[in-house]
Amino acid sequence: MKKKHAQNEPRALKFLTAVSSAEYSKLTLQLGSLIASVFDAHLGVVYVGEKANEFHGTSVNLTRQNLDTWNIIHPGMEVLEWALGELKKLNSENKDLAKITFNPDHVYEEDGRVRVILPNEKGSRVELILREGELVNELRKEIQLEAYDLAIIGGSQNKRHLAHSLIQYLPSSILVLQKFKPRKKYKLLLLVDDSKATAKSVEWGAMIAKKLNWPVRTLTVSKTKRFGSGYQGAADMAKEYFDSRGIEIEQFFLTGDPVRTFVDFAGDDHFVIMGASTLNPVKQLFFGSKPIQTLKQSDVPILIVR
Amino acid sequence: MNFYIDILFWMRQKRWLLIALIYGMVMHNWVTPPADLNPAAFDALIIISMALILIITEPLPLPAIAMFMLFMQVVLGIDTANNVASSFMNDAVFFIMGSLMLAVAIVSQGLDKRLALGIIKLTGHKTWRIIAGFTAISAILSSFIGEHTVAAMMMPVGLTLVRYAHKDPKKVTGLTAALLFSIAYGATIGSIGTPSGGGRNVIMMNYWAEFGAGSVSYLEWMKYVYPMVLVQIPFTVLILLWTFKPEQSNLDSAVRKLVIDVARAGKMKAREWLAIFLFILVFLGWVFLSESFGLGIIALLGVFLYLAFGLVEWSELNRKTNWGVILLFGSAISIGIQMNETGAAEWVAQVIITNLGAVIDSPEILQGSVSVLLTGIMSNILSSSATVAVVGPIVLDLGGDQILIGFMTAIASAFGYFTAVAAPACTIIYSSGLVKSKDFLRAGWKMGVLSVLSLLALSLLWWPIL
Repeated sequence: MKKKHAQNEPRALKFLTAVSSAEYSKLTLQLGSLIASVFDAHLGVVYVGEKANEFHGTSVNLTRQNLDTWNIIHPGMEVLEWALGELKKLNSENKDLAKITFNPDHVYEEDGRVRVILPNEKGSRVELILREGELVNELRKEIQLEAYDLAIIGGSQNKRHLAHSLIQYLPSSILVLQKFKPRKKYKLLLLVDDSKATAKSVEWGAMIAKKLNWPVRTLTVSKTKRFGSGYQGAADMAKEYFDSRGIEIEQFFLTGDPVRTFVDFAGDDHFVIMGASTLNPVKQLFFGSKPIQTLKQSDVPILIVR
Repeated sequence: MNFYIDILFWMRQKRWLLIALIYGMVMHNWVTPPADLNPAAFDALIIISMALILIITEPLPLPAIAMFMLFMQVVLGIDTANNVASSFMNDAVFFIMGSLMLAVAIVSQGLDKRLALGIIKLTGHKTWRIIAGFTAISAILSSFIGEHTVAAMMMPVGLTLVRYAHKDPKKVTGLTAALLFSIAYGATIGSIGTPSGGGRNVIMMNYWAEFGAGSVSYLEWMKYVYPMVLVQIPFTVLILLWTFKPEQSNLDSAVRKLVIDVARAGKMKAREWLAIFLFILVFLGWVFLSESFGLGIIALLGVFLYLAFGLVEWSELNRKTNWGVILLFGSAISIGIQMNETGAAEWVAQVIITNLGAVIDSPEILQGSVSVLLTGIMSNILSSSATVAVVGPIVLDLGGDQILIGFMTAIASAFGYFTAVAAPACTIIYSSGLVKSKDFLRAGWKMGVLSVLSLLALSLLWWPIL
């Protein structure tokens, strides 16, 4: 399902931001754009609308086609149009993006989604997508289809309710923007342990900290007073990596329940980065995982790196 | 790891399918049927309850559920393959197929612009009059051409008025809701008026024939039910104005802009006249020939005429017709017939009568309230036509006058005011994104009370004198 990339061509990272409305998604889009600029990544913007039940699906489609003849656009298109306008404002230096005009009639339907065809989109690195259906299912399909590396999702109550499914089933890294305040000076809190994703978390954390000039703290939590070689080694590796990039960090080693300690330490002024769980999916389903519990219990933006 | 995640995700998406299958296996293999219920009837009930789970939760596309209902009848030995096949196709299914295609053919003619002008000429610029006009026109038209067709044609008119009333729809939420609900509720209350108002009416007529209850002509149906449509129109307008309180009492500017928009369409063209003429022919066919030819056959004849005169392309009909719904109704009616033939419907009816008979003394009140409540509740969860297909055989076995009980059921299936899923017109206005689920509840309970009272008045005051 994933699209193939030309060999030997370095692949740019691809991030996907889910938006729901101009009212509720402004901050999500703002941070999505910021994070994409940190990584020089392509940014996809997806609107996932409700799907009509199957009984009346064709009646709804018939109505929509009729509405087209009256120049009344498909619900969701106005959100994508707004998103493009916001991205232009946020990336005013991007000349290619500035040239783009939104035309709701220029759309391409493929693979159960609608893609807005953006003229001159080559250098703009933006894609606008409309999907209909259940949020987790549609995000998963979009991520698989376009091989996105990161999904950026707003942190409404509804999303917190969906935390388990989002983390368990989305095949990319996930950034959930809980109570994100753009003017707030965040400290970056990197949770370091012996999981496979720690190395990538450190790499991504360093890029974000450097670009946004955020102070960095690393936190390693052990259930017992003894910190094993895996934990210690991961912390050393993180320190070494940040040092090599000229970024100062504060290291913390605490004992206790990992999730509770993460949440208490993070308070409300940290931007948390942690690796995805290494537990097998069945255990995660029944018992949850550190990222799932942390996301459910905390009130700060969390980036879960896969 | 990804493999396990894929499997878990599949299980998450299909959990209701798995639940339905486990339920079916347990019921069929380990649960002993009640002594007074034969095994074939028990299996028919298992199939229909599994199908209900699948239809409500939608883990599978509708055509898959339709196929499930068909092959399970043969696999469980309820009937032979040929008998199942012959019960699958009948005039009610022809009608649903024909009316879905007629909707595509009519909507594609662009007659909505003429309709907009007509309504505005009739109502003027005052908001309450426009809402009254929308409700009345939607109700009257949907009586004859089906609510999905009317809603598809009226929606652009309503949304254009909203757009011209204010740049930001959030500033005119009351006006928006009142206009859109006048289309949806107007179309819904009108859809009971004649047999061609909705597939559910024809499904009930089909059950009357299957159950040997006799037949009802197009005009007889109107004589019994149309007064209720006319009574409900003014009350619906009052309910909408009371509930949503439009922000603007006059839509002068919006109406002027709308008139300029639609005036660009120019004078009526020959093909538009022809489209209207063909529909009038179909309507006359339904009125005068349906007892000999069947409503479905006449609907198909209408589609044939639209195709023959080049008013619509087959590719367009093929693309825009909901074949899944046609398959589903075919199979739902097929299992409904099995419910009757195996005695399952009668058994369920007896269980209801035995359990509720102690509470309600009068058999007439019991039959009426069960058919109205059961149908009304289910149509808000399922869909109105599917409700009649499933509930029809049971309520007709409750005893009493099958024709009157059938009318009550068909009428109550239009009481799906509380959710966006029940009626196509409700789903259509909900899909605009401009009305919320809670709006359906705000106005829906008032509409529910109005409709129940109207039905009560109809059955106590009107039907006895016919």
